[in-house]
Amino acid sequence: MTTPLISVKDLTIRFRTDEGLITAVEDVSFDILPGQVMGLVGESGSGKSVTAKALMQLNAGNTRYDPASKILLDRPEREPLDVLSLKRDRDLRVVRGGAISMIFQEPMASFAPAITVGEQMVEQLLIHTAMSRVQAKALSIEMLDRVGIPDAGRRFGQYAFEFSGGMRQRAMIAMALSTKPRLLIADEPTTALDVTIQAQVIDLMKDLVSDFGMAILFITHDLGVIAQTADKVAVMYLGRIVEKGTVRQVIKTPLHPYTQGLLNALPKINDLEAELTPVPGDIPSPLDRPPGCVFNTRCPVAIAGVCTTQVPRYSEGEGGRKVACHLVERHQAEAVAT
Amino acid sequence: MSQFIQFVMTRAFLALVTLLTVSLIVFTLMELVPGTCAERYLAFKNTQGSQITIADIAAEERRLGLDRPFIERWGKWVGNVFFRGEFGDSCILRLDINQLLADKFWISLGICMAALILSYMIAVPVGIVAASSNNAVANNSLRFVSYLGLALPNFLLALIIMLFSTVFFGDSLTGLFSKEYRDAAWSWAKFGDFLSRAWLPIFILGWSATAFALQTVRALMLDEIGKLYVTAAAARGVTGSRLLWRYPARHALGPVINSLGFDLNRIFNELPIVALILTLTEAGALLFESLARSNDQQLAGAIIFLLTASIVLLNFVTDIMLALLDPRVRRGMMG
Repeated sequence: MTTPLISVKDLTIRFRTDEGLITAVEDVSFDILPGQVMGLVGESGSGKSVTAKALMQLNAGNTRYDPASKILLDRPEREPLDVLSLKRDRDLRVVRGGAISMIFQEPMASFAPAITVGEQMVEQLLIHTAMSRVQAKALSIEMLDRVGIPDAGRRFGQYAFEFSGGMRQRAMIAMALSTKPRLLIADEPTTALDVTIQAQVIDLMKDLVSDFGMAILFITHDLGVIAQTADKVAVMYLGRIVEKGTVRQVIKTPLHPYTQGLLNALPKINDLEAELTPVPGDIPSPLDRPPGCVFNTRCPVAIAGVCTTQVPRYSEGEGGRKVACHLVERHQAEAVAT
Repeated sequence: MSQFIQFVMTRAFLALVTLLTVSLIVFTLMELVPGTCAERYLAFKNTQGSQITIADIAAEERRLGLDRPFIERWGKWVGNVFFRGEFGDSCILRLDINQLLADKFWISLGICMAALILSYMIAVPVGIVAASSNNAVANNSLRFVSYLGLALPNFLLALIIMLFSTVFFGDSLTGLFSKEYRDAAWSWAKFGDFLSRAWLPIFILGWSATAFALQTVRALMLDEIGKLYVTAAAARGVTGSRLLWRYPARHALGPVINSLGFDLNRIFNELPIVALILTLTEAGALLFESLARSNDQQLAGAIIFLLTASIVLLNFVTDIMLALLDPRVRRGMMG
């Protein structure tokens, strides 16, 4: 069995605020294998971005990681590195732009406005590699060219505000991949783009990833995008993973009522008459997390007295898929009994 | 590079146009004061016991050229100011304004500029570091000192320092020069003596200016620090002081630089009160005197013009600084 590139174990993240401790992520575990694309899906506030940022320790100063949480990064011929044990900024460079790179939702806002795109690319290369400035510049231009930016030499000396939206995200990808990271975290990389450009950017990412042989953690609220890109997927709700498995399993036969709700909420292109059925209700405030199953306040099939009091365990399905749902657990028990 | 020179030339030309417009406004304001220079001078002589007739006034107006059309008089005034640096004679005192002002304007401007530079030299680094630090004690004491600077009226601060100095050192620290240098020509010794006294008004004006600038810098920094490009830079492995100075700090400075011209004006407005208490001889007090008491429009106009010209000049400098700092500004200004 291949060693996972990154292994997240029982990740629990709390924020210290004036209102008290807020739990943003609770008992999240997943592995990403080398070369694998993993999707992390959920609504805003589900904790998917916080989870991703934890891999680089990018969460704000008031973040408290639970002592039992582990994020293990595989290292060639060495013991895995526990990312959360890193304290100094200098040590964190391994996971910040070194072995892990990240691209963000707003390509415009992720470039410093008064520094040229090229200068920011070179800076990163100088931090992480032994390259000279001249070599770093040559590689940066090559990367810009590689992601399909025309006239890359001239673009290198320009500012982000001189780029179009799609081009900015391409440049961002070029920058993120220039240090040859082993994991790329893509935090809603296509949400701010036009649909046509979205498709181009996704294709580009898929191509580059297979060329470079790196893994991707793809964060999105869009199951449609996941279906096109990911190998496996984890669905998050209010800081917990409610269901995970291969993309095929989860999208073809969603088991958790929340995943089912998300899929029903997608527009169907071949049945325009079909009504959209949004998941009823709103995501509760993290200050007011429901007891028992976190989804029980919005669940159409919640079992009274069970879902509101007990946290569901993960039921194992075929091919390693996991679902945290009392109903699924009950069905499985019945199936075993008969 | 040539593009940059072109940019500087354009800004210089625009500054000149602004200056001309300002001169027109100042000149118009001078004219709006009821009565002319001739009437005012003769009325003043009247109080000294001479008998004045309408014919005397008309003759005086002719002599001063006040019977010429408005535009011609403005052209003459502005020409003298621009090419010869002369503001003409004061209405009442009948003395050359340059002689009357002598060093006063430059002393005022020097004190204000020194206070301005001092305040920014403190406020910018301290504000940037304070915004990024989590040290509650340091932050709160800084806030206390800076609110004190904002809340404490300048004249009160001046009085307190004078009182302390008189009680403990036997020197009230008033005036800009010691007795022996008061009427001496400028020399290094006189300059040294000037500095040994000028620090007080500079300090008093500088405190509130620092407090003001500090609030601006801190607020702008807090704004920038939360932005995505800072997180993105951290995600690329940029750390420590490089992450602070190159990313949010550099981007927060634009609006701070922009406020320099405005601040110079504010400090100049505060100077006369401080000057009154410390009995400094400077141009601000002279401006109030000529505006409010003697209605000396020529003198008042000269001082106002010199002040606005200083602000226009400072804005010209800050425009260039801003363009060096921010490519978006460069782009916007050059078209």
